[in-house]
Amino acid sequence: MPAPVSVVRSAEMVRVPGEEALVGAVIATTGLTKRYGATLALDSLELSVQGGEVYGYLGPNGSGKTTTIRLLLGLHRPSAGRAQLFGIDSWRDPVRAHRRVAYVPGEPALWPALTAAETLEFLARVRGGTDVAYRQLLVERFQIESSKKIRALSKGNRQKVVLVAALASRADLLILDEPTSGLDPLMEVAFRQSVLEAKGRGQTVFLSSHILTEVEALCDRVGILRAGRLVDSGTLAALRHLGAQVIEVTFAERAPSIEPLSGVTVTTTGPSTLRFEVTGRLEPLLAALAGHSVAALHSREPSLEEIFLHHYDGSDGHAPAR
Amino acid sequence: MPRLDERARAARPHGDETGRRPALALARRALRDARIRTVSFAFLFAAYAYIQPVGYRRAYPTRADRASFAASFGDNKAIRLFYGEPHNLLSVTGYSAWRVGGTLTIFTAIFGLLAAVRVLRTEEDSGRTELVAAGIVGRRTAYLSAMGAIGVGALILWLAEFAGFVAAGLPAGGSAYLALATASVIPVCAGVGALASQFAPTRRTALELGGAIVAVLFLARVIADTSSGLGWLRWATPLGWAEQMRPFSGSRPLVLLLPVAASALLLAAAALIAARRDVGTGLLSARDRSRPRLALLSSPTAAALRGQRATLIVWAGGVGCFALILGVISNSVSSAGISKSIRREIAKLGSGSITTPSGYLAFIFIFFILAISLLGCAQVGAARHEEAELRLDTLLALPVSRGRWLGGRLVLAAVAAAVISLDAGLLAWLGAASQGVHISLPRMLEAGVNCLPVALLFLGLAALAYAAVPRASAGIAYGLVAVAFLWQLVGSLIGAPRWLVDLTPFANVGLVPVQSFRTGAAAIMLAIAALAALAALWAFRRRDLVGI
Repeated sequence: MPAPVSVVRSAEMVRVPGEEALVGAVIATTGLTKRYGATLALDSLELSVQGGEVYGYLGPNGSGKTTTIRLLLGLHRPSAGRAQLFGIDSWRDPVRAHRRVAYVPGEPALWPALTAAETLEFLARVRGGTDVAYRQLLVERFQIESSKKIRALSKGNRQKVVLVAALASRADLLILDEPTSGLDPLMEVAFRQSVLEAKGRGQTVFLSSHILTEVEALCDRVGILRAGRLVDSGTLAALRHLGAQVIEVTFAERAPSIEPLSGVTVTTTGPSTLRFEVTGRLEPLLAALAGHSVAALHSREPSLEEIFLHHYDGSDGHAPAR
Repeated sequence: MPRLDERARAARPHGDETGRRPALALARRALRDARIRTVSFAFLFAAYAYIQPVGYRRAYPTRADRASFAASFGDNKAIRLFYGEPHNLLSVTGYSAWRVGGTLTIFTAIFGLLAAVRVLRTEEDSGRTELVAAGIVGRRTAYLSAMGAIGVGALILWLAEFAGFVAAGLPAGGSAYLALATASVIPVCAGVGALASQFAPTRRTALELGGAIVAVLFLARVIADTSSGLGWLRWATPLGWAEQMRPFSGSRPLVLLLPVAASALLLAAAALIAARRDVGTGLLSARDRSRPRLALLSSPTAAALRGQRATLIVWAGGVGCFALILGVISNSVSSAGISKSIRREIAKLGSGSITTPSGYLAFIFIFFILAISLLGCAQVGAARHEEAELRLDTLLALPVSRGRWLGGRLVLAAVAAAVISLDAGLLAWLGAASQGVHISLPRMLEAGVNCLPVALLFLGLAALAYAAVPRASAGIAYGLVAVAFLWQLVGSLIGAPRWLVDLTPFANVGLVPVQSFRTGAAAIMLAIAALAALAALWAFRRRDLVGI
């Protein structure tokens, strides 16, 4: 009775991006704003996610990630602005937009009396088809106990069921809201593998998360949300270039005191080591170091965590939008 | 020996298991959770306790009036079914004890059950009990706080009923005793609910199990009051004990020991089990595994039917069972020796002639209209539950439109109401026919169909409330039905103007099978129902989904 959608190829050999790549933005929001009473949950969000990319949506708890997703899915109504999926307004025409979307909520809400297998079947039938062979592979990969009822499953195990349903649908766009918050490290690996498979197939992934290593490993582009506003976005490489470069210097003797330089922040990290965060040109720092006996010098790009924290230390001029 | 406050201070940092502050905080929390139910019941109790005596005085001012009323009602088994055995229908107090006491014990029974399942099993089902038990509060303290909250709720209902009687001019002492008899059912049925909550692993099972037991207790009273030779059964049920306390007719306060002992026993047993089992489980463990059954999974509406299947079967069984019993009883009603003027008096109760089998069945079917209206509210409540638990987020993120989902649920509710209405008509006919009552099956099926316009009207209004104010919708839906029903019962009794009484849908149904089906009124109600449903679909498309 369920019509399995074209099972074209087995999951392992899928590495054919491009051909049917989507033209134009898969997700586009303009001035998207949401107020709940007096609280401004999302403030004029401008977001654009292109077909085939994995977009990391970062932000701490309460910064508006889930609100964004509810607006993208048309579950909540925008106070201003609009959200489009595949060029379709997701508030006005949610059903048409949802045909090409699969969603994994942060809090897996399923029917307690159904078993995992029944749940997968139900979600597939209501969607109107799924890739049954790939679903079977995912059920094994995520070690789903098919005959167990949802009410007997832990949060992580329920989350796996929703993940499998979403991934097996082979929807053009996967919207994942903190999908790994209940998963153990082994399943986290399975999750990353599955997302890369989806990417390889040309699917677009919108991954909301606050697990930075995960985003770093999977995402092409990243947006950082703070108190309802997008404070930074771009490719990881671009974010790194914009962020401060980190230079760690070990001196032969005790660390000298370096005169204040514009664009350079100094931190003492040991008796003979200093850490410099440099935004902009390096010459002034190199000139200042020239007179001292430098034993070792390490330069590295900032980690995503450092970029992230940089936006949250309150010194970047973005007041929280309350 | 250290002074008490020093000991308390010393104990605090370690978390004092018997400390009173956390226990009080829990009890207060439970009371707050129950506030809407408690306040609506209290309002109902006060209003009913006030209106009945006042109405009786107005409708039967002279002793002669009352004598004829008593003559027609004293031995009417059909009426006893609802209100119990009358002891003195010649005085306002005797009438109140019978009519108010008899009706409100049904409500106190339901209140006790709901309250206990709410504070025990619902809390546990949601995982909150685990959180509390993991903290500094012991499980016994948590249990006692919950019971304390129910006790306060019972006290509020007692006060409300008492205040209603006193406002209606009944003597204070007797009123307090009558209200106490009514309220005595609460702890016993709370004990039933508490015990059911230990056995059942989920809230719904607990309600079904406890509901079945309360239904049996009610049935025992019904049989005791209507069947000669089985009066002793009254001693087997808390609803009977409330009668046996004989308020305003030779009080027997010692009977009060029975509910006290029974509730102590039930609550202690529940506490004992609660202390010995794992948190989050029930003695009847739910089956956690099963082979996949793929029926009724093809659409959201089919899955809703799958989820509601057990509940609807219980409804159909319960309604059918009562219809059958009432059909059987209808044979014992007779109009012999009742004059036309008395029949007019009876009509003042808003129920038409009930002194023939068919008249009786027509009167009884008003209660089925009520029950099926409540079924509609419950179905909309189930839809709201789906949304509150965030499962609707999961569904509506699929290619499912809001209109299709809500429309499907409303159609499901309407079809269920229709099936159960016909079920009531069929089984009432079966019961009556088995006793040789001459009544045609089509007429009784018509009586069933006659339930639908009102029930669908309330279904539409409940849907509208759900779409417009989701969090308050259950209160509004049930409140509308309760107010409309009570207004029909008492409106004419207290002499309200005709047009005001006619505002309630219940006053606009023909009493089938005695009267004919009122097509005009039905058409108007169905039109309003359809408009309300359309407005609900429109409003639901325009709002955010809201969680708990």
